[in-house]
Amino acid sequence: MDRPEKIKILYIDDEVNNLNGFKASFRMDYNVLISSDTVDALAQLQKHPDIRVILCDQRMPNQTGAQFFEQIRNDFPLPIRVLITGYTDIESVIDAINKGNIFRYIKKPWTDTDVKSAIEESNKFYITNSMLTLKNEELEKAYLELDKFAYSVTHDMRGPLVSLLGAIDVSRQMDDLNEVKGMMDMMEKSVQKLDSFIRSIHEYYSLKRGQLQIAEVDFNEMVKDLYDIYGVTGMLEHIKFNVNVAQEDTFRSDTVFLKIILNNLVSNAFKFQRSDLEHKEVDLDIKVVKGIATLTIKDNGIGIKNDYMKDIFKMFYRATSNEVGSGFGLYNVKDALSKLNGEISVTSTPGEGTTFNVIIPSK
Amino acid sequence: MAPGNLNFIVIDDSKLDCFIAEKIIRNTGRGETVKSFIMAPDALEYITNEPGPANGLKTVMLVDIQMPIMNGFEFIEAFEKLPKEKIDNYIIYVLSSSINENDINRVRYHTSVKQFLNKPLTSNTLSTILELIG
Repeated sequence: MDRPEKIKILYIDDEVNNLNGFKASFRMDYNVLISSDTVDALAQLQKHPDIRVILCDQRMPNQTGAQFFEQIRNDFPLPIRVLITGYTDIESVIDAINKGNIFRYIKKPWTDTDVKSAIEESNKFYITNSMLTLKNEELEKAYLELDKFAYSVTHDMRGPLVSLLGAIDVSRQMDDLNEVKGMMDMMEKSVQKLDSFIRSIHEYYSLKRGQLQIAEVDFNEMVKDLYDIYGVTGMLEHIKFNVNVAQEDTFRSDTVFLKIILNNLVSNAFKFQRSDLEHKEVDLDIKVVKGIATLTIKDNGIGIKNDYMKDIFKMFYRATSNEVGSGFGLYNVKDALSKLNGEISVTSTPGEGTTFNVIIPSK
Repeated sequence: MAPGNLNFIVIDDSKLDCFIAEKIIRNTGRGETVKSFIMAPDALEYITNEPGPANGLKTVMLVDIQMPIMNGFEFIEAFEKLPKEKIDNYIIYVLSSSINENDINRVRYHTSVKQFLNKPLTSNTLSTILELIG
């Protein structure tokens, strides 16, 4: 069997001959630690949290093996316990199983086969148990995220809808057509907000559940799409969009994930502009050198206050009311980057602008 | 006795919701002054620094819950730390689209909050609560 690392086991017996014999028999197959008393055994357990199986002799001077197992049950719940005894004292065995959480029981004198099979079975049990613990932790985390998610979703979806309802109610009482038209503009923004929120949720789930689909990426091609969308926005809102792509090498990555990253960062750059500024600008710079893509998205917009910097990648975090944001965009960016082994850094000066720097290695 | 006029403050990160609230307040005909804030810290700063209403009228405050930077609860907690004579000048209503039980229950723990109101705000709801104020 292919085993990258030997299983770490601990054998406890007050007879030194037994210890040495045990180690001699099994050191080729396992990483064997030995202890001649339970105090030393405890120290070993503390030192080696990766011990998977503990084999302990029942008859020991200060404490029985069963008592020792009972004692360590709470502090070291993970290692699997095997009790070894030369006396077929049924009472003590029952006691050991009930109180000490014993997985196997081996009779002395043991045969190599008995011990080996006990260790192998214990190891399987250990792996199943640890996996279960890990899965449980993951599940708990997922539940917490779901709670947070459900709460924000009801707010972020209901918010724009009740705004619309309110606006409709108010519009009904208006006689001035121009005033009604003004209301419609605001209602349109509300619908757009809901729409963009739903898109973000879609992105969130493609990122969470999606498998990476690696293919060759042509950044010039990708940027064309972006330019089509934001070139128009730029003209309408008088924001200059400067795009520069220098791709020397082939680059392999997931196109969907890359688009999520680029789209969110560019859309933020367009969104968080200073309305009073005359020369609004967004620069997108992409370089691919030696299998590493460096994306720089720079704007001369409102900037981000230093206090908020640490939170901007958190889910549902928003640092301003001035623009419509779902608090999802940068979270999705970070999530996509972690799957592509990429990194992001940001520098910003309030009132002057923000620069995001993204580095992604080719897959 | 004819009901008197009141000052109003609306705190909501949605510009549209501020606008709707302002409109409805004006429609009731009882808004002496109406002020909107899309950022709660700005509202807090305004309230902290204002010397007291020049017109001697009470101020009704409509506060949203989920807002960036400082949410409605954080705002109310900060507000409750202001001097008592200032607090007494305000009547707070929480106005939210939240249907979350925790949010609704949490409002009860704030003595300065008069009531939880569900969005959208309608002329009827507002007229009714204003009649109760007198």
